[in-house]
Amino acid sequence: MIWLLGAVLFWLAAWAVNARIAASPLGQRQAGRLMVAGLFGITVLVLWEGLVRGFGVPAVILPGPSIIGPTIAGNLGTLWADFVQTVIKGALSGFAIGAVAAFVTAIAIDRSPFLQKGLLPIGNFVSALPIVGLAPVLVMWFGFDWQSKAAVVVVMVFFPLLVNMVAGLQATDRLSRDLMATWSASYWQALFKLRLPAAMPFAFNGLKIAATLALIGAIVAEFFGSPIVGMGFRISTEVGRLGLDMVWAEIAVAALAGSALYGVIALIESWVTFWHPSQRK
Amino acid sequence: MTRALPVLTVLMLIVALWYAGAVWLNSTWVYDQAQRVGTSVTLAEVIPQTMTQTRPLLPPPHQVAAELWKGVAGQKVTSKRSLVYHGYVTFRGTMMGFALGIVLGVGLAMAIVRYRVMELSVMPWAIISQTIPIVALAPMILTVSNQIGVENREIPKAIIAAYLSFFPVLVSMVKGLRAPDAMQLDLLCTYGASDAQTFRKLRLPASMPYFFASLKVVVAAALIGTIVGELPTGAIEGLGARMLIGSQFGEPLIMWAALFAAAILAGGLILLVGLIERLARARMGAPA
Amino acid sequence: MKKLLSAAVFAALGTGAQAQDVTLQLKWVTQAQFAGYYVAAAKGFYEEEGLNVTIKPGGPDIAPTQVIAGGGADVIVEWMPAALAAREKGLPLVNIAQPFKSSGMMLTCLKETGITAPADFADKTLGVWFYGNEYPFLSWMSQLNLKTDGSAGGVTVLKQGFNVDPLLQKQAACISTMTYNEYWQVIDAGIAEADLVTFKYQDQGVATMEDGLYVLEDSLKDQAFEDKMVKFVRASMKGWKYAEANADEAAMIVLENDETGAQTETHQKRMMSEVAKLTAGSNGALDPADYDRTVASLLSPGSDPVISKAPEGAWTHQITDKALQ
Repeated sequence: MIWLLGAVLFWLAAWAVNARIAASPLGQRQAGRLMVAGLFGITVLVLWEGLVRGFGVPAVILPGPSIIGPTIAGNLGTLWADFVQTVIKGALSGFAIGAVAAFVTAIAIDRSPFLQKGLLPIGNFVSALPIVGLAPVLVMWFGFDWQSKAAVVVVMVFFPLLVNMVAGLQATDRLSRDLMATWSASYWQALFKLRLPAAMPFAFNGLKIAATLALIGAIVAEFFGSPIVGMGFRISTEVGRLGLDMVWAEIAVAALAGSALYGVIALIESWVTFWHPSQRK
Repeated sequence: MTRALPVLTVLMLIVALWYAGAVWLNSTWVYDQAQRVGTSVTLAEVIPQTMTQTRPLLPPPHQVAAELWKGVAGQKVTSKRSLVYHGYVTFRGTMMGFALGIVLGVGLAMAIVRYRVMELSVMPWAIISQTIPIVALAPMILTVSNQIGVENREIPKAIIAAYLSFFPVLVSMVKGLRAPDAMQLDLLCTYGASDAQTFRKLRLPASMPYFFASLKVVVAAALIGTIVGELPTGAIEGLGARMLIGSQFGEPLIMWAALFAAAILAGGLILLVGLIERLARARMGAPA
Repeated sequence: MKKLLSAAVFAALGTGAQAQDVTLQLKWVTQAQFAGYYVAAAKGFYEEEGLNVTIKPGGPDIAPTQVIAGGGADVIVEWMPAALAAREKGLPLVNIAQPFKSSGMMLTCLKETGITAPADFADKTLGVWFYGNEYPFLSWMSQLNLKTDGSAGGVTVLKQGFNVDPLLQKQAACISTMTYNEYWQVIDAGIAEADLVTFKYQDQGVATMEDGLYVLEDSLKDQAFEDKMVKFVRASMKGWKYAEANADEAAMIVLENDETGAQTETHQKRMMSEVAKLTAGSNGALDPADYDRTVASLLSPGSDPVISKAPEGAWTHQITDKALQ
């Protein structure tokens, strides 16, 4: 009971502090924003711990942060190996291959309005499909190691990226293109100087969506067969062994990896598309 | 016709590639089998054999189509063997997740627009939540909802679907509710409108185009969430469960048919949502 | 939570004269492996005992041990190694009945890989199921002194998915199969029995006990619960013996209960006739000799013993003694 009460009290107190910060001038600055978000995150953890202890939830159902934390600290080696296998080898390589493929395809079909008209609706449709269902098939084709995981990721990220790239390449207005024509710029010059830069906001939009998809794809594919390392492998095995603290440790790593990937893409975006209105401070 | 021709050409190309892939991938097995019995086969003999295997690596399109047809029209739609029935189960799950996602997304967006502290504390975590691969969380959602006594298997499925679908709603609603400019807000202020009135008469109507524009993404996300929820969590009913059973019992045709049924369902849902969007836009007086 | 739980149990019992509810969590999807329970339900054996039994199928993301810990089931079907491992994790599971006498697990290898005896496993790739089913394999390997970490001279372990494709695609030299399921999928796929080499865990002397019925230790102290389980085990064993004698009918009953509608008659009939061979020879009561062998095999020296010390009180004849009088 004490735990429950404490957690709720902490929550209320933290909320009051957050409300104060948000209302004060500090809330307008980066530091204040970080503080508020951080405090909220801590509150969630405290509430979680309080609820788990207050209700006496067994650790084989839902372990509290106080159990998960030491598990993370004690298994850094395993977590790192899983991270390398799933994120670096599986997700990132697939992500890179898929992104390059989508980029090249978009430029390849750029000169053929016929192909564009044909591919766009199909690409749009395929991006909405539950491609994860292909995971067992691809594991069958490409074997058990990370190659099949990368293949799943390629298929998952290709179409959203392609659709965004094609849309991006069409994003310039007539006036700018005419200007390029009056300067008698060649197709390639116009592409590199005008249309590709203009397509970048769309491309990054696609990359951000694809970043999340990549991790999902790599982890799902491991459920259908894998070597005995990897985040998806660990999650499915540890659930069977009732090692839920380890499962949550992997989830934490996945969240960290996902956020980091997203963050890196956003960083590159702000650097590449500094001219775009959405980047104005 | 001018719009259909390119699409049809690309489709034909895909089907042709698919057949080629089927011959290529399935031929290994034919050669292996021939070697096991100690005979050799010519290419002309191999090709027909790659078209009719019971567990092909890649079934050719007509095999999938036949299996799909068998699943849809081969029995009563209420039968457990009917893909229509399983499609309906998945559809129901998707709709529950869709509704839950919309409620959650709209509710959060309202709170975020109204209270600055909500924006500062919740918004960053909402973004982070989307970078957590849902599949990692799915088994945990299942266990925890089991623990708190949720017997119904639809609920965890809907939660997973909602987890994926609330975010696009949230983002576009926040944008939409903030769409009215200072002049419009000032005008309502001069009318002495209360917060609630401003919300109802200005912010809400202004957000509607944004809301409807997000629905296509939302419904696709809800479907993916539902299938991910069906795939490993109990393998009872639904297209996801059929994919799993097809994989487990070495019946790739069942798996492929379920995959295509899911694709058809996705197509239907997107058309439906697109129609709703168009109707709503027309109703709001947008140019068609 | 425990209080809430027992309150719920009392509330269920409070209904008195009405049928007593029992929820059974299976280890895997609906298939003939669990025919006895489905037969007992379909033939009204449970009803005769005044029980209202709900059978929950499992799946890849469902650990029965976890379900019972969360109060989602009264009794579960589980394999002994997983149950003992859960017991060491602090979940006091007790075996109350053991309808399966023998183990159906084996490793099936392609003859062309040159494997003829377990010693040949060295430096080969073996497919194994995880999710709690890896324990028998790991203890067997440690008895063979084969390392499973992929180092030279050891074996490379693959986490096998839910089918036999790794063998067909030659991604693994051997894969785990059950006598009643996956083995026949390999045969169905067109590989002749003569092209295969199989190693049954039972023949290798490393068999661990499979499908048993487990409940939480505390609940057995409750007279009403005990009484309910006595009835449940009696009716279930009646179902099993009926299924053994009428394999085809039992398979059809299973099919009717398959909600995915993706299972086939041939698979299930054959599975039933193979399962009948494993349940034959068990009247439901656990054989202590089998238990001792299971524990010895799990404790066997190695880098990664499944359990660290011999468990106590992990099984009881309390229920079967009364049920089988």
